Amino acid sequence: MTDLQFLPSLTPPQGSFVLFGLLLLSGLAGGHLFARVMRLPRITGYIVVGIVLGPSGLEWLSRPALEEMRIFVDIALGLVLFDLGRRIDIGWLRKDRWLLATGVTESTATFFAIFLLLGYLGVEPAHAAMAAAIGVKASPAVLMLVARDLKAQGQVTERALILVAINSALAFFLFTMFWSYLHLEYRAGWLTVAAHPVYVLAGSLTAGWIMAQTAIHGGEWLGKRPDSQFILIVALIVIAVGLTIHFKLSALVTLLAFGILAKNLDRKHALLAVEFGQGAELFFVILFVFAGATLQLELFPEAAWIAVGFVAVRFAAKLLVLLMLAPLNGLRFAQAGLLGLALVPMSGTAVVMVQSTAAVYPEFGARLAAIVLSAVAILEIIGPVATHLALRLAGEASPDTR
Amino acid sequence: MEPLVFKESAALSFGIELELQILNPRDYDLTRGAADLLRLVEKKPHPGDIKPEITESMIEVSTSVLTRHAEALKELRGIRDAVIAAAQRLNLRIAGGGAHPFQKWSEQRIFPKPRFNHLSELYGYLAKQFTVFGQHVHIGVRSGDEAVYLTHMMSRYIPHFIALSASSPFYQGVDTAFDSSRLNTVNAFPLSGTMPFVESWEAFNEYFERMRGFGIVESMKDFYWDIRPKPEYGTIEIRVCDTPLTVEKAADLAAYAQSLAAWLLKDRPRQPSRDVYRVYSYNRFLACRFGLDATLVDAYTQSQVSLRDDILDTLQTIMPHAIALECQSALHSIRESAAGGGNDSAWLRDALQRSGTLNDVARLQAALWMGTGE
Repeated sequence: MTDLQFLPSLTPPQGSFVLFGLLLLSGLAGGHLFARVMRLPRITGYIVVGIVLGPSGLEWLSRPALEEMRIFVDIALGLVLFDLGRRIDIGWLRKDRWLLATGVTESTATFFAIFLLLGYLGVEPAHAAMAAAIGVKASPAVLMLVARDLKAQGQVTERALILVAINSALAFFLFTMFWSYLHLEYRAGWLTVAAHPVYVLAGSLTAGWIMAQTAIHGGEWLGKRPDSQFILIVALIVIAVGLTIHFKLSALVTLLAFGILAKNLDRKHALLAVEFGQGAELFFVILFVFAGATLQLELFPEAAWIAVGFVAVRFAAKLLVLLMLAPLNGLRFAQAGLLGLALVPMSGTAVVMVQSTAAVYPEFGARLAAIVLSAVAILEIIGPVATHLALRLAGEASPDTR
Repeated sequence: MEPLVFKESAALSFGIELELQILNPRDYDLTRGAADLLRLVEKKPHPGDIKPEITESMIEVSTSVLTRHAEALKELRGIRDAVIAAAQRLNLRIAGGGAHPFQKWSEQRIFPKPRFNHLSELYGYLAKQFTVFGQHVHIGVRSGDEAVYLTHMMSRYIPHFIALSASSPFYQGVDTAFDSSRLNTVNAFPLSGTMPFVESWEAFNEYFERMRGFGIVESMKDFYWDIRPKPEYGTIEIRVCDTPLTVEKAADLAAYAQSLAAWLLKDRPRQPSRDVYRVYSYNRFLACRFGLDATLVDAYTQSQVSLRDDILDTLQTIMPHAIALECQSALHSIRESAAGGGNDSAWLRDALQRSGTLNDVARLQAALWMGTGE
């Protein structure tokens, strides 16, 4: 045997390279199966592959292996959030005040609907508020990618993207606030309570602003060359993601602010609307396979019905507000309804939010974690399908994506 | 089948139709927005008429029947403002210009309406390629015979309208070297070109009956001629202009057509000539390609003339009629661009020089139309 040391061991190949490649291949196969054969969004295919391969399924993807994928996931989220931010036109929010009002009302209504439901079910207010805050957020990644896959153009698409940005930001704000409140309840000092949200918010906005200024000035210096500007933007996104990890900031707020400010402060129009294209697609496959793999389906039996209630109440609250405000938004009722449907997907980052809360505050309760994680599981699977359906029915999908 | 009845209308009344571009505010590509825009516009009273066009990123606006340049200006501005108000609520941009600088025709979506679906089926890719934007000017005449005469006489001046209105130098992402690339896409249609050389409305009707008998056309709408009589309106319709970058320019062009028609109908300076049609296609090409710098063949004098000089001479000749019609200011603006100010294509090429990308050109185009500044 000693003569044959140049041969590898007979255990299955491990390590990031093979893993990355295998995840891409399996995601590709799942996406293809769902999109071509079943006419469902590719994203759902990626998620299902994640579930099958992950700890809840065949356990081929262990938790440490998932951690190795984390960097790709963070970059993918960075790309999506920046791209979403770039689509937010502050001028529009200023001219059509009802748009912002709708976003705030929709988020608030969702929060209270879930909060009341959980209270009714006997969940402690502080914990219920935390879970409700998580439920406010729709999924920017799902909306952006489904809209892109369908080449969707129109009011439902545009408004869904603005609303997801607003409810993501508000969800983050509420979550950080209640997180601090939990600190207080568990006798953390006042300073922690006050300083933590302020630090995260101010830090993230500052980081986003610095990135945006760098992008704009870099763009001016480089000139309007798409290939150069593409590298500039991707580099800054990766740096921004790194900074948020290092300084414990919010990736969501930082990247969203980076996108929004890069678009809205660029008065000389130095930055081009560079497309991330197929290169970014690699990261998105990993993002959703990862999201599927982190779902904890084993919790589902104990919380199934409450999770269904969570999902139903969340949808009803969003739908109701959008229908009521439809005339003020210049939308037909059918469009407002489809807008509500488009906002169904819940963000995979909710899993991280729940897990990190449960880790710091075990009292947060396994039961609540089970409820929220089960709701996320339902919404990750039906969410992309809902958005896909909404944009199609609204007539906003390109005919050649049929 | 019923013969075409020519509806009499007030001589020298006029109307304007403009096809407009709907853009997104991110990369300023064409975007799907006509249905939402129209729904919102119709909620409030506005002058004129606003309708869908063949693809979902176009709308067509038209004025009522007008008699004076000042009225046209007022009404066009009213329509423009109504469309802009709706567009701003939907975060869309509206732009003039004969072609979008970089849209891909294959990505355009046919507006869901039976006539448009039929055209798309019949013409295949030509229908989507027809995502170009024109200005049509109607001039009222008192009879079918007058319409036939005026159509023939106006044909001599078609290069003027092409060069003065040209605003489609960029198409599918490239500088075409043409000032008006839009008209090249019209040429592909089988029923494009010019009205046959008939001498009276009766003779025209005979021709139309034959074409209808062959099953080639059903109505006048099926002819895509550069100028066509429009019996149901009692007008002739000049269809060669690119949509200008501003409504003011659109009103100027209409006033030029009105004054020219006044001179042709009242003074009857010449008789229709087959020679005009013999040199027609070539002159039309030269005007599209070189704009105001073109040198044309004058069928009546059988000599080469500079298009600029020809416009300046014509302006001088028709000025008394313009004064009677109270549109001398419009003709002064036309003179300015013919004498050196240049047309909208020159403005667009300059915009590319200044800004560097065609996305920026489309952005500047929209800012100019919407009056929002850069």
